[in-house]
Amino acid sequence: MPKITVDGASYEVAEGRTILQALDDQGVLMNGVDIPHYCWHPKLSIDGSCRLCQVEIEGIPKLQIACNTPVRDGMVIHTRNERVEKAREGVMELLLINHPLDCPICDKAGECKLQDYAFEYGVPHARTREPRRAGKKRVDLGPTIVFDQERCILCRRCVRFCREVPGTGELSVFSRGDQSVIETFPGEPLDNDYSMNVADICPVGALTTKDFRFKIRVWFLEDVPGICTGCAKGCNVHLGVANNRVYRYVPRRNDAVNGTWICDEGRLSYARIGADDRIAGHEVRQPDGRALPVSIDVALEEAAERLRGVIDRKGAGAVGILASPHATNEDLFVARRLLEALGSSQAGVAVRTGRSDALLIQPEKAANAEGCRRLGFGPAEALLERARGGAVAALLVLGHDALATQGPELLETLRGLDVVLLADSHRSELERVAQVVFATRVVAEKHGTLTNHAGRVQRVVPAVEPSFDAHAEGEIMWRLGRALGLPGFDGAWDLQAVSKALAETVPAFAGIDLASVPPDGVPRADR
Amino acid sequence: MQKAPFITSYLTEHTADDAFATLAGYRAHGGYEAARRALTQMSPEQVVELLKDAGLQGRGGAGFSTGMKWSFMPKDSDKPKYLVCNADESEPGSFKDRLLLERAPHQMLEGILIGAFATGADKTFVYVRGEYAHPANVLQRALDECYAAGIFGANCLGTDLRHDVVVTRGAGAYICGEETGLLESLEGKKGQPRKKPPFPAQFGAFGMPTTVNNVETFSHVPHVVAKGADWFRGFGTEKSPGTTIFGVSGHVKRPGLYELPLGTRLDEIVFEHAGGPPDGRKVKGVIPGGMSMPILPASQLDVPMANEFLRERKTMLGTGGVMVMHDATCMVRVGCIITYFFRDESCGQCTQCREGTGWLHKIMQRIERGAGSPADLDLLLDVASKMEGQTICAFADAAAWPVQGLLRHFREDFEEHVKQGKCPFPESFEL
Amino acid sequence: MVISDAVRSAIDAEIAKYPEKRGALLAALHLVQREHGWIAPETAKAIAEIFEIRAIEVMEVVTFYNMFLDRPQGRHQVRVCTNLPCSLRGARELVHTLEQHLGVEAGETTPDGRIHLGHEECLGACAWAPMMRIDDTYYENLDAEQAKKILDSLK
Repeated sequence: MPKITVDGASYEVAEGRTILQALDDQGVLMNGVDIPHYCWHPKLSIDGSCRLCQVEIEGIPKLQIACNTPVRDGMVIHTRNERVEKAREGVMELLLINHPLDCPICDKAGECKLQDYAFEYGVPHARTREPRRAGKKRVDLGPTIVFDQERCILCRRCVRFCREVPGTGELSVFSRGDQSVIETFPGEPLDNDYSMNVADICPVGALTTKDFRFKIRVWFLEDVPGICTGCAKGCNVHLGVANNRVYRYVPRRNDAVNGTWICDEGRLSYARIGADDRIAGHEVRQPDGRALPVSIDVALEEAAERLRGVIDRKGAGAVGILASPHATNEDLFVARRLLEALGSSQAGVAVRTGRSDALLIQPEKAANAEGCRRLGFGPAEALLERARGGAVAALLVLGHDALATQGPELLETLRGLDVVLLADSHRSELERVAQVVFATRVVAEKHGTLTNHAGRVQRVVPAVEPSFDAHAEGEIMWRLGRALGLPGFDGAWDLQAVSKALAETVPAFAGIDLASVPPDGVPRADR
Repeated sequence: MQKAPFITSYLTEHTADDAFATLAGYRAHGGYEAARRALTQMSPEQVVELLKDAGLQGRGGAGFSTGMKWSFMPKDSDKPKYLVCNADESEPGSFKDRLLLERAPHQMLEGILIGAFATGADKTFVYVRGEYAHPANVLQRALDECYAAGIFGANCLGTDLRHDVVVTRGAGAYICGEETGLLESLEGKKGQPRKKPPFPAQFGAFGMPTTVNNVETFSHVPHVVAKGADWFRGFGTEKSPGTTIFGVSGHVKRPGLYELPLGTRLDEIVFEHAGGPPDGRKVKGVIPGGMSMPILPASQLDVPMANEFLRERKTMLGTGGVMVMHDATCMVRVGCIITYFFRDESCGQCTQCREGTGWLHKIMQRIERGAGSPADLDLLLDVASKMEGQTICAFADAAAWPVQGLLRHFREDFEEHVKQGKCPFPESFEL
Repeated sequence: MVISDAVRSAIDAEIAKYPEKRGALLAALHLVQREHGWIAPETAKAIAEIFEIRAIEVMEVVTFYNMFLDRPQGRHQVRVCTNLPCSLRGARELVHTLEQHLGVEAGETTPDGRIHLGHEECLGACAWAPMMRIDDTYYENLDAEQAKKILDSLK
């Protein structure tokens, strides 16, 4: 393996990589070794045109761009000397002579690389007296993106992204020289499943998403690491949080899962967290059919009493759980424990499926479908078939995915049962057939782990707190088990203890400690 | 244009004769005999060695050894290999390749055939600038004759050598004269130069090993093969052998082409051959090698036109395009035209070039308008220095050097504009 | 049909010369532009189909090169070289004369759609300045009267 020296520090790097790639592999690029760059992006082809990443290499008279220069054993690189700094200053000055300098009204301000690098590597004053290049403002590039020509620095990341990642190629640079401009073909807008990533990779305020534009200044946002729950891929995201509200998802790099991208549908799914149709409290159905808002304790008491009736009449084996693929592994483990304590084998899970692609989008539209399978939840159809045959008299329903997969027939089946308990986060027709409804937390509101389609176990932490009383499904089931006096369900709800028990009991989770799951997750190929 | 240079030598000896552009006319002067000799009596290595011994340097501007370049082509590659003839002559002040294409197409084609043999190339693409419609047609006719006569194709000149030549047209972009910009254009793309590595000898046209040579360079080759390295070295200087075709333009009595040995003194070209400025004017400055090359003042014309001497004067031979400006010429206007050209022709990839060319032009215009400040002179130099040596190709250098040259030798012109708040050269050419 | 059969077969003949289809794109654009006068979006789409590339890749090429037109601009393209060697020998004056003669400014098309007048960078005729290119033909060593006559003769 070639050994290179950068500013006196040595690195053993992989053969055939360029300097920037090698430093990125080491995790030190812009994180110890600062080589500013615009056109280079770890997940796109090398462009080599912004010229900002020039470094000095001993033995080579001219400065070289670090993005395209292959490493050689013994290469000695300087990134901080006067020559390099002068070159960077030159690039920064030239990039700024035509830039509108409209940071006060630019939505990228605060996370703009032009702003950051100008501060870090630029010259403090402008020497140009010439009028700045005028360009089109607020160009509607498609359903998701707005373009500001004047701010564009022509790094062509967006052009390469569209060609290389979704493969749709909607963008190009037209004309040449200082007339160069990003364009779409007439009548063919920027419209693909991943279009909004161009706003993330745009180093300046040229490309912004219609969804996030002007919602909030980014410096008010706290980036909370999390997982997108739109499908089984489990793309890593940062949740942008302020005022106890999630304003956006942006991709969080995880080369083992999503690289640096997320799909538009997943990105926009953040809106479900603070949606108007959240179930905002626990309810008990009155004999007259009205829903009575109650405390969690009352709801648990009511639920326990109804279950006790079923157990008395038909035995504990008639109690079943229709699990949710949105619940965490820990939630699902509690469900499994509950069934074991009851001595019931009536378990199943419904997973909504949909469109998929070869890139990120998975057919299963839930973050923890694989976790369900690994915890023994089989297809919902079998469970519901047994329910229709009379083997199930009470069903605890987590989430409403079954509605999407089973259709209205599900409601018929549930109506035929003695007891239906619902624990869910968003309103659905299921409430009408449930005697007790528990308000649950969504993934962005709880601790736990999720298992993605490939078996990678990834951790989530609460980014926001619900403004109403809501609990994780695991906690609700734990307390229900305690109310029923089931063995093993004593003491207060303790997620840590549940996580420990999960790791000890289920081989697929052996050794996974909730508190120490690394940011990029733990791969578990085995079932 | 003229049918032959005012002064001719081996390259242009017969170009006055219309028939020389035909196969029969070319053969009447021994055409394709050098190629026959190379293909039947020499090994490819011997051809390459001969060119190295002759010291033939590329005539497209960079002046790199042709034999060396040919030796870089991979020997044992099972991929197709290509030659490219750069006929994208676009350097302002240069018009020699046009003559060679229109009046001596077979001479160049013979050079290509020898090059194909020496490098083992399968195919040659002759990339002719889009505006050269007529030269491209003449060349295509010559090529058709060659195919009919079995000179190119499956058995070149009756030998085992298979070689095809394709004439391809550009569409108006100076940057396609840069060899990798040309390759991109040849592939049907925007002519934006490629970052290196990889280099064309490994990854050139259509991803295959490729060597690019200029029209004039190929045209010298048959002569070297026919008459030998010593004969060739009989022309020119020790380090720069052979002749070249100088194109003289601007303020001279006899603008036109002159085939002269390398090392001919610039003042000899300007005054003796081209007659110096008309109307009793004096020379103010001369651009010696096409617009990318820094200007020389009247006091420095006593320089032999070869890179080893021109470098000492901080300029280069380039394409041998000699542009003469008389004493009424405003050098800031010259700067405006030069900077406008580079602004217009920048491909727009690299930051320094895309932004720097425009900035230089804007500052230049402001000074010409009389709105410049004393600081603008150093600003021009500073911007130029920020463009130099930092980009994918040499275009940004080519844009920076002439500005540096103007300020090196004609700073007073700039200072006077600033001082007077207007252009002090009322008799200069119009802008 | 956007592209005529004759042009289509000429394009196919060009394609045959290159190891990759796309090598013939510039040639195809020249051929199509000769027939249509410019490259309209729907023409670009038809060309893109032939070359199995995206229409936007055709347009990026069209907009990069001076000789390709992405909008209709007159039956004859008249370009006066105004680079340095020509300017030293009166090219700018010639442009002004022609502007007055045609009643348009450089960069504009005559109202009858006959002539688009423009500047151009060096065309390789430096010693025979001033000069102009009309479509594919060079006119050199011009004086104002000659140049006006040439323009008048254009249909």
